[in-house]
Amino acid sequence: MARVYQVPHHAFGWLVAGTFMAALPHLIHGPLWLRILLPATVLGRILIQRGRLPMPGRVLRVILLGGVLLGTLYTHGTVLGPDAGTCLLVAAFALKLLEMVRLRDAYVLLVLGYFVLATTFLFYQGPIASLYVLLSMLCLTAALPGINHPEAGARAWRHFRLALVMLLQAVPLMLLLFVLVPRISPLWSLEFSQERSRTGMSDSMAPGEVSHLSQSRELAFRVEFEGAVPPPAARYWRGLTYAWFDGRRWSQARPQEISQADYVWFPASPQPRPDWAATLVAARDEAAARGPVYRYRVVQEPSRRNWLYALAVPFADDTRLGLVRDLRLVSREELNQRRDYRVTSYPALRSSMPMSPADEAISLQLPEGFNPRAREMARRWYREAGSAEAYANRLLRWFREESFYYTLEPPLLGEHTVDEFLFGSRRGFCEHYASAFAFMMRAAGVPARIVAGYQGGELNPVGNHLRVHQYHAHAWTEIWLPGSGWVEVDPTAAVAPSRIEMGPEAALQDDPLADFQGIMRDLPWLQQLSNRFDYVQFIWQKWVLDYDESSQLSLLQRWLGDVSPARIGMALAAGAAVLLMPVALWVLLRRRGPGRTPMQREYRAMLKQLRGRGLVLSDDLPPRRLVREAGGQWPAARPVLKKWGRAFEESVYGGQAGTSLRALRRYRRQLRWLRGARGGQHVSPG
Amino acid sequence: MLAAVRAPLQRRYRQWLARRMPASRQQRLTQQRIFILPTRYGLFFLLIAALLFLGGINYENNLIMALSFLMTSLFMIAILHTFRNLAGLLVRAGQLEPGHAGAEGALEILLHADDRHPHLSLWLRWPGGPVEEVSVLPGEEKSVWLRLPLKRRGRVHPGRLHIESRYPLGLLRAWSQLDMAHPALAWPRAAPSEFCPASGGDAEQGLQHTRLAGSDDFQGLRSYQPGDPPRMVDWKAYARGRGLHSKYFADPAEGWLWLDWAMMPGVDPETRLSRLTWWVLQLEQKNQRYGLRLPGAELPPGLGPEQQRQALDLLALYGEEVA
Amino acid sequence: MEKVQRALARVGKVVLGKNEQIRLAVACLLARGHLLIEDLPGMGKTTLAHALARIFSLDYQRVQFTSDMLPADILGVSLFNADTREFVLRKGPVFTQLLLADEINRATPKTQSALLEAMEERQVTLDGDTYPLPLPFFVVATQNPVEQGGTFPLPESQLDRFLMRISLGYPSPEAELALLAAGDLRAEALDLTPALTVDELQQVMQAVEQVHASTDLLGYLQRLLEHSRSSGLFQAGLSPRAGLGMLRAARAWALLGGRNYVIPEDIQAVLVPVCEHRLQPVAGGAARGAAGRLLEAVPVVP
Repeated sequence: MARVYQVPHHAFGWLVAGTFMAALPHLIHGPLWLRILLPATVLGRILIQRGRLPMPGRVLRVILLGGVLLGTLYTHGTVLGPDAGTCLLVAAFALKLLEMVRLRDAYVLLVLGYFVLATTFLFYQGPIASLYVLLSMLCLTAALPGINHPEAGARAWRHFRLALVMLLQAVPLMLLLFVLVPRISPLWSLEFSQERSRTGMSDSMAPGEVSHLSQSRELAFRVEFEGAVPPPAARYWRGLTYAWFDGRRWSQARPQEISQADYVWFPASPQPRPDWAATLVAARDEAAARGPVYRYRVVQEPSRRNWLYALAVPFADDTRLGLVRDLRLVSREELNQRRDYRVTSYPALRSSMPMSPADEAISLQLPEGFNPRAREMARRWYREAGSAEAYANRLLRWFREESFYYTLEPPLLGEHTVDEFLFGSRRGFCEHYASAFAFMMRAAGVPARIVAGYQGGELNPVGNHLRVHQYHAHAWTEIWLPGSGWVEVDPTAAVAPSRIEMGPEAALQDDPLADFQGIMRDLPWLQQLSNRFDYVQFIWQKWVLDYDESSQLSLLQRWLGDVSPARIGMALAAGAAVLLMPVALWVLLRRRGPGRTPMQREYRAMLKQLRGRGLVLSDDLPPRRLVREAGGQWPAARPVLKKWGRAFEESVYGGQAGTSLRALRRYRRQLRWLRGARGGQHVSPG
Repeated sequence: MLAAVRAPLQRRYRQWLARRMPASRQQRLTQQRIFILPTRYGLFFLLIAALLFLGGINYENNLIMALSFLMTSLFMIAILHTFRNLAGLLVRAGQLEPGHAGAEGALEILLHADDRHPHLSLWLRWPGGPVEEVSVLPGEEKSVWLRLPLKRRGRVHPGRLHIESRYPLGLLRAWSQLDMAHPALAWPRAAPSEFCPASGGDAEQGLQHTRLAGSDDFQGLRSYQPGDPPRMVDWKAYARGRGLHSKYFADPAEGWLWLDWAMMPGVDPETRLSRLTWWVLQLEQKNQRYGLRLPGAELPPGLGPEQQRQALDLLALYGEEVA
Repeated sequence: MEKVQRALARVGKVVLGKNEQIRLAVACLLARGHLLIEDLPGMGKTTLAHALARIFSLDYQRVQFTSDMLPADILGVSLFNADTREFVLRKGPVFTQLLLADEINRATPKTQSALLEAMEERQVTLDGDTYPLPLPFFVVATQNPVEQGGTFPLPESQLDRFLMRISLGYPSPEAELALLAAGDLRAEALDLTPALTVDELQQVMQAVEQVHASTDLLGYLQRLLEHSRSSGLFQAGLSPRAGLGMLRAARAWALLGGRNYVIPEDIQAVLVPVCEHRLQPVAGGAARGAAGRLLEAVPVVP
C-alpha cells in the first residue's frame, strides 16, 4: 500500500473545513445517502490522518464510486443535468477526500472544492448564501498555503490571514470583471428538472375539494414603487383569471373564437396589434388624467409559471412580457430564475376595455344541473334589485349580515358546492366566497370571472417596497358593468374586512411562525432588523442577481459613452491596472530593515544640521566621537553639543527613559542660533 | 529529429541566460532574474474558473460568474504574491565541501532576507542534484548545503542554481536560474598502491620510508613517561606487579615524508594523482607527517586535517588553471 | 572598580607603553574570554601574562609547547594506583586559573585541539570521567606570527575559541628608553602586589554581565554582523558566536571605562581584536584592516 500523504497538521483543519463547508449546502437538499456519505468521509479522513484507519483499498474505492453512481441514478433517474450532476459531483468530491494519497490529490480536491462551491449558487442565491460561499472559499484558500508550506512550525492562523489578505485584494478586481465583462446570452439551453415544486397560484381552483389551505411565508415577489404607493385596499396583484366553471372547478380558459394573436399582445412582436390593445393604448393618457397611475418594479421569485403579477391594466417595459386580454401580464417562458420587470398600471383604464360577444359568452357560462337553489335565489334577487350593481350590493350585504365565517379549514363540500356553502356550511376562505359570488352573478346574467393573485403586501419602510408572501395569495371576482367595464368585487372583504385591510396574519393562528411574528411585533428593533435585511436582499437582487445584458448595457453607456468591444477592453485593462497597482506596490516594494525610531531620526537630524553648517562628518561616528569631531570643527558649539551628546547617549544607550526627546530638540534648536563654524564656509568641490 | 531541434534551442537559451544573468558570487533576485508561470494546478484552477464562467452564462447565474471572476482575480493576485516570495532575496555562494571524484560534494548557498517579509518554501538544487527546501524569515540568513555528484577530478562547475518557489497558493511557480560562479572541488579518486611514492624521509631523524608500512607495529615496552596516553600503558604487566610500562610503537611523529609526483615514472597523470591521494589519506590515518611535491607546486610537511585538506586540494587542482 | 583601575595602572608599570593592549587583555579576561597574543619573541608577552596573573592573584602555569607534546602532557592522565587499586588523576598543567600557553603553534594539531577543547568546555574528560577546571579559567596563548618550519598554525575554526587576538608590537621610543633604563621587568612582574582577590575578580566579572546593552546598541552590533556577511568583503561572515563575544568584550570595556552601559564606542574599541582573527578577507583583500573597513561601512545610527 502506498504511503499515505500526510497533510501538514496546520493545513489539515482548513482542508477539512473548506471541503466540508463547500459540500454542506448540498446536504440540505440532497438525498439522504449523500447526507450520510459526506460526514462519514470527513470522519474517515480524520481517522486516516491520525493513523487510526488504513487508506481504503482500490476495491473499496471502486465499490464506493459504483454506489455513488447507483445512488444518483436512484435519486434522480439520470446522472446528467444540473441536479443529478451536482449530486454526483458532491459525492465524488466527498470520496476524493478519502483517496487523497499524494500532494496532487490534495490540490485536485481543493480546486474541485471551488467548483462544488459554485454549484451552491444553483440552489441558493441570497446574500447570506453568498457570504457563506465566500467564507468557505476563504477556508479552501487557506488550505493552499498550508499544503505548500510543509514545515512543521507553520501556524494555521497565518494561512488564514494570508488567504484573507489575498481575497480582499482580489475582490476589487472581481467587481471590475463583474461589471465590465460582457454578458453573453446562453450558449445552449439548460433547464432545471420540472419536478421541482411550483409554488403560488395554480391554473385552476376547486373550492369544495380543499379542506386546508396551507399558507407559507415564502416570498412571492417584491415591489418597489416609484412615487405613490397604493393603499392596502387597492393592492390587488392580478395573476390570472378563471372564466370556466364545470360545477366544481374554476379554470383558466380562452374563448375558442378568439385567436392566440388576439388573446395576448406582445408589444415587441412583429404581429399586428390587436384592436383591444390599440384601444387601451390610445386611452392611456385619458385614464391617467382620470385616475391614479402606479409605476413600480416587481422582483418576481422563480415560480416556474409564465404568469406574472401586477395591478390592473399593466404595461410592462420588458420585451419578453405580453398583455393578455383579461388585463394581466404573461411571460413567453416560465420563470425559473428570479426576474424583475418594470410596470406602469392605469386602474382607470379598466372601463376602456371593450367587451366582445365571445368574452361575454364565456363570462356567463354555467354548467347545467348544479346548484339549483342558488340559481333560483339569484334570479329572484336580481329581479328584485333591478340592476346588476344593486344586486351585487345586496349579495355582499347578505354575506356580511348572515352568519358567514372566514376560516382556513372549511368542511369539504359535496356535489352542489355553491348551494352547500351558501345555505349549509357558510364557512370558507376566499375561494369559497369568490366562487359563490361569481356563480350567483352569472346565474343572474351578469358577466363575472374569478381573479387569482395576491392581495396586500407588507410595506418595508427601509426601502419603500412591498413584500408579498405566499400567504397573501387571494381569489376575488370581477363583474362587468356596462359603462364601468370590469369592476373588482371582493366578497371575502364583506365577510372578513380585516383580511383585506390588515393582511392575512390574523388568520394564521396555526402557523408556527405566527408566534414568532407576534414577537416581532412586540420588538420593534427586531422588526426593523428584519426590514433592513429584506432591504439588503432587495438591493442584492436588484444590483447583483439581476445585473444582465440590458442593465450592463445601460450602465456602460452611462460610463463609457459608446459601448464597443474595444472600449470595454480598454476599460478592463485600465481598471485592472488601476486596481492592481496599489496591490502590486504593496506586495512588491521592498521594505528594507526596520524603520527608524524617533531617537534615530533625531540623530540623523543632528548630523544633517551639522553638515549643513559645513562640518565634515562621516556616517560611522558614535555620539561621543560625533560631539568631539563636531566640537573640534566648531568650537563655539561645543558646550551645547556636549549636552546634546550626553543626553542622547544616556537615553539611547543608558536605558534611562527620563531623558526626553524634547530636551534633545531644544539643544539642537540652540545650535541654530549659534554663529557658524568657520563662517559657514566649507570645502566645496570645484 | 527532436534532439536536432532541441539542442540549438537549448544552446540559444543558455546563451540568452548568460547574457541576462551573468555569473556572480552574489546576486539579488530582482525582476529580471525571476520567471513566473502557472503550474499544472494553476492551469486546472483556471480551467475550473473558465468552466464556471460558461456555466454562469448558461444558467444566467451572476453569482457563479462572480465566483469565476473571483477565482481569476485571486490567480492574478497570486502572481504578485508568488513573485514576492522569491523577489528581493540575496543569494550568495558560500563554502564548499569537496569530495572525491565519483562521489558527491556539496556547495553552500547562503540566502539572506534583508527585507521585511518572509521567503517561504524555497526549493534549491543544482542540475542533477537533489532538492533542498528552505524558508528564510525576515532579517535571517540561511545556509543551505546542496549536494551534487562529482563526475571528474578538479574544479567542477555545477551549472546554474535553480531556485523555485510555489508559495503561497501553488498555482504558480516563480523560479530563477543563477550562475553562482561557485565551482565545486573534486579530489582525485583514491587508488591504493603497494609502493609509497615518497622520497627521502628526514635526514636529521633518519627515518626510512621503508619502515613506514609497519609503523603501527608493536615494537616493545619502555618505562612509563608522564604524558603517555593511558591506552598505551601495559596494564596487564602492571597488574602482575612488573611496574608501569608503556607499549612502544614505532613513533609516528618523528619525521616526515615527501610524497612525490616524480616517484612514479611511466604512470599516467590521473593514476599518479589517485595514488598520491590514497597515500595522503593513509599517512594522515597513521599520524605520519608528510609533504607533497607536484610539478609546479609544493606543500611543506605537516599533519592534521588542515594538512590533509591542503594536500587533497592541491591534488584536485593539479593541471587546472589557478582561479 | 577603583581596584581594577589600580590593577591596570600597576600592569602598566611593568609592560611599558602598552596601555591600550593591557586594557584589552584585562577586558578579555573580565569577559571570561581567552586571549591570543601574536607577537615576535621578546616583545613582553610573557611579562604581560605574568603581570595579569599576579595582579588578580591567580594560580599560574606556563607551558612551553613543542612538537613532541602529547595531549596528556597538558590535560593529565589517570593512573592506576597499585595500593588503592583504583585510578587516580594525575592532573596536567591545564588545571590552573591562568595558563600561559607559549608558542601554541609549535604543538601538533592533536595537542592543540585537546587544549582548545578544554578551553571551550572549561572541563577535561579523561577516560570517560569529567573533571571541571578551576574557576576562573583563562588561557593566554602566544603565537609566533612568522611561519617557521615545524609549526602548525591554528586553523580558523579553532581561532574562534579565542575571544581576542592582540599583538603588542614594538614599544614606542619613549617606552623603549624607559624599558632600557629599568632593565628586565619580568622579575618585577612576578613581584607585583595583587590588586584584587579572586573573589573580587569574580564579582567584577559578574558586574560585567550586568552592564546594560540597549536595543539601539544591539541593533548596531547586529548591523555590523550582517554587513560582515552580506558585504562580500569576507569569505564567510561573522558567526553568532563572534557577535556574542563582541558584546561580552564591549561590556567589559564599558565597565573599564566606568560606565554601566555599553555605547557604540565600546563596540568599536573591541571590534578589531575580537573579529580580525575570525574574518577571512576574500582573495586579494588584505588581512589586516579588514575589520576596520567594516566599521567604516556601517553607520552607528541607521
